[in-house]
Amino acid sequence: MTVFKAFLHVLNKCNGMVILYTALLLLFGGINAKSGDTTSQFTADKPEIVIVNQDENVGITKNFTDYIAAHSKRKELKSEEDIDDAIFYRQVAFVIYIPQGYRQAVLNGETPELRYKSCQSADASFAQMMVESYLAIQQNYVDAALQANPDEKNISLNEEEVCKDITQTLEQTSTVHVTTTLDTNSMSKAAGYYNFASYSLLAGAIFVICLVLTSFQELPIRKRITISSMNYKKHNAILLASNLLFAIALWLFYGLISFVIVGKVMFRAQGAMYLANSFVFTLCALTMAFLISSIFNNKEAVNGIVNVVALGSAFLCGAFIPVEWLPDGVLAVGRIFPAYWYIQTNEYLKTLETVSVSGLKPVFINMLVMALYGVFYIIVANIVSAKKRVVA
Amino acid sequence: MFGHNFKYTFKVLMRNRMLLFWTFVFPLVLGTMFKLAFSNIENSEKLNVIPIAIVDNEDFQGNEAFRRTFETLSDESSDEQMFDTVYVSKDEADTLLSDGDVDGVLYMNGAEPEIWIHENGINQTVLQYVVDEIVHTSAIMEKRVQNELEQGAMPDIEGLYKNVMEQVAGRKSNLVDASRANMSYTMIEYYTLIAMACLYGGILGMTALSRNLPNMGNLGKRTAIVPISKAKTMFSSLLAAYCTQLIGLAILFVYTIFVMKVDYGENLPYVILLALAGSLAGLTLAIMVTTVVKTGENGKLGILIGITMACCFLSGMMGITMKYIIEKHVPFLDKINPASMITDGYYALYYYGVDKRFWMDVASLGIFSAFMLLVSAQGLRRQKYDSI
Amino acid sequence: MSAVVEVKNLTKEYKQKKAVDDLSFEIRQGEILGLLGPNGSGKSTTINCILSLLKYSAGSIKIFGEEMTPDAYKIKRDIGVIFQEVAVFEELTVYENIDYFCGLYVKDKQERKKDIEDAIALVGLDEFRKYYPKQLSGGLLRRLNIACGIAHKPKLIFLDEPTVAVDPQSRNNILDGIRKLRDDGATICYTTHYMEEVEILCDRIIILDRGKIIAQGTSDELKALAKIEEKVTIETKHFKPEFLEKLQAAPNVDKAEYAGHQLVITYKSGKNNVAKLIEELSAAGITCNKIFSERPTLNDVFLELTGKELRD
Repeated sequence: MTVFKAFLHVLNKCNGMVILYTALLLLFGGINAKSGDTTSQFTADKPEIVIVNQDENVGITKNFTDYIAAHSKRKELKSEEDIDDAIFYRQVAFVIYIPQGYRQAVLNGETPELRYKSCQSADASFAQMMVESYLAIQQNYVDAALQANPDEKNISLNEEEVCKDITQTLEQTSTVHVTTTLDTNSMSKAAGYYNFASYSLLAGAIFVICLVLTSFQELPIRKRITISSMNYKKHNAILLASNLLFAIALWLFYGLISFVIVGKVMFRAQGAMYLANSFVFTLCALTMAFLISSIFNNKEAVNGIVNVVALGSAFLCGAFIPVEWLPDGVLAVGRIFPAYWYIQTNEYLKTLETVSVSGLKPVFINMLVMALYGVFYIIVANIVSAKKRVVA
Repeated sequence: MFGHNFKYTFKVLMRNRMLLFWTFVFPLVLGTMFKLAFSNIENSEKLNVIPIAIVDNEDFQGNEAFRRTFETLSDESSDEQMFDTVYVSKDEADTLLSDGDVDGVLYMNGAEPEIWIHENGINQTVLQYVVDEIVHTSAIMEKRVQNELEQGAMPDIEGLYKNVMEQVAGRKSNLVDASRANMSYTMIEYYTLIAMACLYGGILGMTALSRNLPNMGNLGKRTAIVPISKAKTMFSSLLAAYCTQLIGLAILFVYTIFVMKVDYGENLPYVILLALAGSLAGLTLAIMVTTVVKTGENGKLGILIGITMACCFLSGMMGITMKYIIEKHVPFLDKINPASMITDGYYALYYYGVDKRFWMDVASLGIFSAFMLLVSAQGLRRQKYDSI
Repeated sequence: MSAVVEVKNLTKEYKQKKAVDDLSFEIRQGEILGLLGPNGSGKSTTINCILSLLKYSAGSIKIFGEEMTPDAYKIKRDIGVIFQEVAVFEELTVYENIDYFCGLYVKDKQERKKDIEDAIALVGLDEFRKYYPKQLSGGLLRRLNIACGIAHKPKLIFLDEPTVAVDPQSRNNILDGIRKLRDDGATICYTTHYMEEVEILCDRIIILDRGKIIAQGTSDELKALAKIEEKVTIETKHFKPEFLEKLQAAPNVDKAEYAGHQLVITYKSGKNNVAKLIEELSAAGITCNKIFSERPTLNDVFLELTGKELRD
C-alpha cells in the first residue's frame, strides 16, 4: 500500500501534462468531428467555391452562377484578403470572377476573359472542369443561335431559349450505384480519433510512468529500497501493478471520451474492436515506458525523450495526418513503432464492412505484432535493469 | 560588469544540456518529422490519375463517343491523362471495385451509362462528371440536329459533330488564372515551428532571470547583494539569454532553409526582423511567467512549456486548418496568441509579401512584448521581499 | 571598538508570527560575532533583513555608519555573504564560479585574478579548480560556496550556517579560514546552531530564541549566567546516604543526587570544589573509582534561560 500511495503522490505531481495531452486529444477529436451526413447514396463531392459576380445577376450570368452554386458549396467572403486566405488554407477550392458586362459580351458572341483562383487541389481541378464544361456548352448554344440568325445578331438572339437549352442539357445525368453500406464519414471520424489517441496514450503513459519510475530509481531512494525489508521483487511487482492500473485508467478514460465524440459507431462491433485495439496498444505503451525508464535515470531527460518518442511515433505512423498521405519511405520507418500496427488496424477497421473472424485476421496479426513488441521491450528492460541493480 | 555578467550568463546557458535540448535540438527534431510526414501531402491533395474499370461489352464497343473519350482521357503519354483504365468483364470489375483497386466502374447498359462506385469521393465525382459530359455532348448534338431539321435545312451531321466535339473537348473558354504564387500550405507547419522555437527560447530567459531574483533561489540572493544595480545585472542576463535564443533560431533557420527547403519568401531582412520580434515575445512571455506565477522553477518551466504547446496548437502546428478556424471564427484568440502572430507574419511574408498584414503582426508582437513587460514590471523592480 | 553594523529595534512579521521581535544589537569592528539559536529562531531572517533582501516591519539598520538600502552599492561592495544553501552555477567550474561572483565586485582583471587565487588557497580547492560542482563532495561544495562569497575581500562577512552537513575535515578547514579572514581584518557575523563552533570561534555571542535576544556576551560571560559553576560526577560503589545529606546542606551546592553508583553534584559557586570534595570523601571513608569535573556549556545556559535544549 505504501508503494502504491507513493506512486499516487508522484502521479499527482505530473497530472498537468496528462491534462495537456488529453486536451489536445479532445480538441483534435472535436474539430475532426464533421457533421456526419450518413448516406449510402451517391452524393457528388461539392467543392467549396466563391463566386465574385460584378455583372448584373440576370439572364446568362444568372444561369451560370446558379449552376455553379447548385453544384458546389458556395461560400461568401467579404474581402479579397479573406479569399486569398481561404484559398491558401484550402478552405475554398476555387474562386471565379465574373466581370462587369459579361452577359452582354457573351450575347455578342464574344468569349470574355474570366479570372479564377484555384488552390490546385482535386476539388479545385474538378471545379475548374465544371466551369469549363459549362462554358463550352454555353458557347455551343450561343454559337448555334447566332448562326441561325447571322444578320440580326444579339437583337434576336433568344437569351431565354439559350438558358433553357443549357439547363436542359446539364440536367441529363448518368445513374450511379454505391455498393458500400458503411457510414464512411463517421467511420473515419472514429479512426481519426483513435489514431490521434495513440499519441495521447503514448505520451501520457510514457511521461507519467517514466517520471514515477525515475523518481523511484533515483540513487538515494534506490539504495533505500534495496536495503528495505520489502522484497525487491515484491516492490517491483507492486510498482508494475500501479503503472498497469494507471495505464488502464488512462485507456478507459480515452475510451469513454470516444463514445461522446465519435458517437454511435462505438456501439457497433467495430467500436469494440477499436477499444480492444487501443487496449493492446496501451499495454504496449506501458512496456515501452518501462524500457525508457530503465534506460534513462534522469528526470530532466524524460521530458525530452517523451516528446521525441511520442511525436516521432505519431508523425511517422500517421496519428496526426492520414496514413494515405504519408510517403512510403516514412511508413517503412514507422514500422519500428508499435503505433504503426495500431494505426494500420484502425485504418483497416474503417473500411471493414462486416465484422467476422476471417475478416479480423489482419487485426489479430497487428495485435500480435504489438504484443511481440511489448514482450521485446520487457526483455530489453529487464536486461538493462539487471545490469543496473548493483548500485554503482 | 555588464560584459562580465553577460559573458557568464551566456556560458551558463550554453552549457545547460536540458535547456539546449528544448531550445536548440527539439525544434530541429520536430522539423525533421514535419518534413518526413508532410512531404507528400500537397501531392496527395491534387487530382491524381483515377483508376477505373470499364466493362468491356458490346454496348461499350458500339458507343463511339464513350469509347473515344475514355481512350483519350486514359492516354498515358498525354499530360491530360485523367484515368487509368482497365477493360474487364462485369465480374472482374466488381471484384476490383470491392477490393478497392479501382475507384469506379463504368457499365454501358444499352445506351445508358451506369457508374458503380464503392464509396463517395472526389474521384468518383470526377468520373461521374466526365460521363455526364459525354451525355451532354450527345444531347447538344441531338438538339442541334433537331433545330436544323426544323429550319428545313439538311443537317451536316458529320460537320456538326466535329464542331460540337471541338467546343466541348477543346475547351476554348477564356479562363485566366489569377491565383497567387506560393501556394504551399504545409509551409505553415514550419512557420509554427519557428514560432515554437521563439517561445521555447523564453526558457533561456527564464533560467537567466531566475538567477537574478532573490525569491527564486540562492543564486538570486547572491546576485541581489552585489554592488551593481539590479536593472543592470538583469538586463545583461536577459540580453545574454536573448542572444542565445537567436543563435538557436539561426541554426533552425539554416537547417530549415538548406536542409528542409522551407520557403520564407523573398524578403530575408524581414524574415529576420520577424524572428527578432518573435524571440522578444518569447522572452517577455517567459519573464512574465517567471515574475508573476508563484511556483518553483520547475513549475514555471512546466507552465511555460504548456503555454507554448497550447499557443502552437492554436496556430496550426497539429493541423494547419486550426490556424484558419481560429483566425476567422475566434479572432480574439488569434490576437493574443504570440505563436499565431509569428506564424501569421511568416505566412504574410510568404503569401502576400511585405505589406500591411506583416507589419500588423510585427506590431502585435511588439505590443504583446510591451504588455508582458508591463505586467512583470512590479516583480522585476521589487528589491525587497516579504519572504524569500 | 566601533560598530560596523548597528541593528535597532528590528521587527519582521510573517503572516501570523513574529520572526524577529524588536531586535537590537551591533557587530563590532574586527570581531567574530556568533548568532546562536535553534532552527527557526530568526537567525537567517535577521541576516536577510540586514542585507536588505527582506522587508521588515520596523527598526533601522546601519552598516559602516550608513543606512542600508538595496541601492547602497558602496556598502554592498564591502560585504560578503555565504548563504546557508549552496549557491553556485552547476554549469561553471570551480574557478569560473569564483571568477563570476568576484567579477561582480572587482572590475580590474589582474586584481581579480589575485583575489581568486587567494580565495582558492584559503578554502583549499587548488586541485579542484577545473571541477564542476556536481563532481565535488558536500564538504568541498561548501568550501566553494564560501570562496564565492569572500573572494572580493569584503570587510564585513556574513556566514549563515556554513558548516551544516559538512565532514570534520572540511569543517576544520572552514573554521580555520574564518579565523584567517578575521585576522586579515574582516568583521564576521557567524550564525550556527552548533554551540561548540561558537565557543571555539566567536569573540562574542548572541543567543536568539523566537526572534528575541535572550543573552549576549563572551563565552565566559554567558556561562556566568548559568546558575551553576561546576558539575562534578563521581563513580563510587560504597556510598553512604548521610554523606549526601551533608552535601545537600552545603551553601554552595545547588543539587546533589546519587543514583546507580553515580554521585552528581552541581556547585553554584566556589573555588577548589573538587579538591575539597576529595578531602571530604576520604574523610568519610568513601572510595571512588572516577571523578569528572565539567564547566557548564552554552547548552546549559540556553536550558537555563529558556527551559529547553538548544539542540532539537
